[in-house]
Amino acid sequence: MTAPLSGLPPSLPILGGGIALLMLSIAWRRSEARAIVIALATLLLAFASLWSPVLAWPGDPVGILFVPDGWFAYIAGLILLSSAACVIMAWREAGTPADEFYLLLLLGTLGALVMAGSADMVIFFLGLETLSLSLLGLIAYHRNQPTADEAAIKYLILAGLSSAILLFGLALSYAESGSLRFVAPSLAGPDGPALPLAATALVLTGLFFKLSAVPFHTWLPDVMEGAPVPVASFIAVTSKIALFAALARYFAGADLLRPDAAGMELAIVAVLSMFGGNLLALGQTNLKRLLAGSSIAHVGYLLLALLSPGPFGLASAAFYLAAYAAATSGAFAAMRGASGLSDIAGWRGMFRRRPALALAMAVMLISLAGIPPAIGFFAKTYIVIAGVSARRVVLLVALVASSIIGLYYYLNVVRAMMEPVPEDHRAVRGTQANTVLITALAIVTLLAGLFPEMLVRQTRALLQPVPVLSAASLPPTAPHDILYKE
Amino acid sequence: MIALPALVLLPATGGAIAWLSDRGPEARHRPWWVAITTIVLQTLLLFYVTCAADWGHGPWLAHFSAPWVPALGIAARMDMDGLSLVMLWLTTILSFPCVILSARDVGERPGLFHLLLLATIAGIDGVFLATDLFLFFFFWELMLVPMYVLILQWGHEDRRRAAIKFFLFTQGGGLLMLVAILGLVILHQHATGIVTFDYFALADTPLMPTAAMVLMLGFFAAFAVKLPVVPLHVWLPDTHTQAPTAGSVLLAGILLKTGGYGLIRFVVLLFPDAASRFTPVALAMGAAGILYGAWLSLAQDDIKRLIAYSSVSHLGFVLLGVFSGSPMGMRGAVVQMVAHGLSTGALFIIAGSLQDRLHTRDMRRMGGLWQALPHLSSVGLFFAIASLGLPGMGNFVGEFLVLLATWRISPPIAALGAAGLVLSAVYSLTMVGRAFFGPPHAGEGADHAPPADFGARHMAVLGLTMALLLVLGTYPQPVLNLSLPATPLAMPEMEAPQP
Repeated sequence: MTAPLSGLPPSLPILGGGIALLMLSIAWRRSEARAIVIALATLLLAFASLWSPVLAWPGDPVGILFVPDGWFAYIAGLILLSSAACVIMAWREAGTPADEFYLLLLLGTLGALVMAGSADMVIFFLGLETLSLSLLGLIAYHRNQPTADEAAIKYLILAGLSSAILLFGLALSYAESGSLRFVAPSLAGPDGPALPLAATALVLTGLFFKLSAVPFHTWLPDVMEGAPVPVASFIAVTSKIALFAALARYFAGADLLRPDAAGMELAIVAVLSMFGGNLLALGQTNLKRLLAGSSIAHVGYLLLALLSPGPFGLASAAFYLAAYAAATSGAFAAMRGASGLSDIAGWRGMFRRRPALALAMAVMLISLAGIPPAIGFFAKTYIVIAGVSARRVVLLVALVASSIIGLYYYLNVVRAMMEPVPEDHRAVRGTQANTVLITALAIVTLLAGLFPEMLVRQTRALLQPVPVLSAASLPPTAPHDILYKE
Repeated sequence: MIALPALVLLPATGGAIAWLSDRGPEARHRPWWVAITTIVLQTLLLFYVTCAADWGHGPWLAHFSAPWVPALGIAARMDMDGLSLVMLWLTTILSFPCVILSARDVGERPGLFHLLLLATIAGIDGVFLATDLFLFFFFWELMLVPMYVLILQWGHEDRRRAAIKFFLFTQGGGLLMLVAILGLVILHQHATGIVTFDYFALADTPLMPTAAMVLMLGFFAAFAVKLPVVPLHVWLPDTHTQAPTAGSVLLAGILLKTGGYGLIRFVVLLFPDAASRFTPVALAMGAAGILYGAWLSLAQDDIKRLIAYSSVSHLGFVLLGVFSGSPMGMRGAVVQMVAHGLSTGALFIIAGSLQDRLHTRDMRRMGGLWQALPHLSSVGLFFAIASLGLPGMGNFVGEFLVLLATWRISPPIAALGAAGLVLSAVYSLTMVGRAFFGPPHAGEGADHAPPADFGARHMAVLGLTMALLLVLGTYPQPVLNLSLPATPLAMPEMEAPQP
């Protein structure tokens, strides 16, 4: 019984303990303040534990079910921090009773962490379902609002459908390789490429549904519009980071530069997501829907980084994830700071009504648009470096063209905020905790944009080939170090 | 020299202080005073840099280098040669009219206005100094945003469309340049194994002819949008027309020159072979720009639009000069840039003042202003004549040198360029005739008090500009000496480039 748990990252039991504690506390007496304290403390403790050594029994093989490598630690850090941001946004927003909201957020975070660290299909699927089910509860949390019900039903049906497709793909993969390792099956198997190809295609379809890449994206804007602001942030940031990390892990051993079916599918989906997401966001009058479109487009950019293996590929994706997480969480936090105001017309004149809030929102949007000095600029440049280095010409052209579309709608919001104050504006207010969160995220977005060195070093440390899953099928790793002569 | 980054940081800091000083209605004039102090300090700093520069030890005058993102070979590296120095002086000189004369059209929130103005100036200074390609691109993008907001907030009636057009065009060109920069970096990495964004290291990259051509076109696209070169000029007339006066002056006076500067520093000097193969196309585009801009100027009723199209025409000469492949042409292009910056900047000030007074830019509703506004009209006449290239003014020197250099490689193009000069005389004089002479417009003057003429402040600023143009026209030698760019192969004397 010891062997399967060997390599279990300590953050998972900590989160589990936190969840149990929160449940006990709810059973004893309800208190939103106590719930949020427990949730935040759990998340921060789990974050701190990322630096601690992994539980491994001497003599046991590490990494049967979990791979506690650098990639996991980095992704887990992002997941925990972005989830802590959601918790802060939820303060006095969760509704009554509020306690279970935090419980579901912690459960979803646990699912995301399991997914990001799993080396095994079953573990991966467990994590995915934990995340999906807690999200369902979160989306429907304001259950007396019709939009919340609609969003929850939409999410339920599509999440179920995509889980089924994913599960079928995993089953086919198991039939082909006889192994439960979560990794794309080799096409050069003994029975020809048909079975592994079908398995990969089905798994990818399932993952794309969850990741809401075009053409599997149609649920996202509706669900995000119907969900409360902290949940929308959770969907757009935390769950996407976890899914992208899992996707990267799934293709760890594959050579994505080879123009085979899987690489082609990824490339086509990347291009479609860039254009589809940006075009979707272009005509929106609702900020949540706009950010949904923007998050789809950012998935496209991330896929470009994934498709550009080499010294920069995964490192740039990791950097981009951090930039995306900071700016998108920040945009949602700003929205929360404006009483959850999601109608763009309602943001008119915000620079005069609430200058600090409007400035923070502008910083986030500028970062998402990739304009200096915000961090998004460096992140996008980093991805383009990766793309150029792997000679992904078509994808780069798509990135440039769709980024220009993206500029238009981000700046459109900034422009609306600069307009004169409309007559019929409502007063907006947030909480103090949320103000602290916005300030911190804005400072991070600007400072990390001006001084990206630390984060670059951090992401470069991940360059060790992602998960060591099937040592036999891994190609020899590139000698990255000689590429960086100091 | 630590003064080089200070040239960028000083306006940025001054802008931030100006912004913070804008608190409450009694502080209305404080941002203006902060801004004026900043640019005076900036002038002194630039003067110090000029004096303390390393004259006589090769073409590079001053250096600065600090690590920024060593993991990716990015350094905060700045080097100054004569060309940079000329451009920096132009920027600093033109920032005076922007700040001094803008007090009128600021209206509310002067703090933000001055922050944006000074931030744009900081970005432009950075562009003229950076010799790390990433840093260059950083500044290149950085000067866009404040300009965009400036147009959006203080522009005229159709400002939204103009602002977004400006942003999308420049950003589109900029992204192509980014891809080209990174392509160059990666090719350099393949050749040498070192990732670096250093200008001097990258200039040594061995390139296949096709690759060089593709990369050069990426750079060219960004600079051609900015300059502008004719098929990519679409944003310019709208933007210049809709921008507030200070914005127009900044745009026409300096921002467009970053395009010319980039063509010289990056297109021609980084890719000399590809640039020389591209010369016929570039010359054709330059001549087309000269004629097209002049032709459209003839048809304009809006005075700011006329000046904007005339910029397209005059900057066609810069393209001709840069691609003429001779030092003479290059020098002519630089003189033309300086002279155009001064004269067109002044013309936009005059057009802006006319709009302030008459509440229209339509020349059909002007006329006979000489009686009412003698000072303004005579200054307008002077700059219109300077802009058409009368001998004795800077514009003449620039255009003459460019045409001479062009004649050596392609007489037909030179002839076409000279034809553009004839057209420029026609539209400049027509403009003067319609606005300042002729019968007074019927609707004006009768029931209104006559508008106020230029005060001492305007006359002092514009008089200084006139003097500079005359000096440039009669004694251009110092600028000519400075303006030949230093080649990247003449490595500045300092430690090896940052890894």
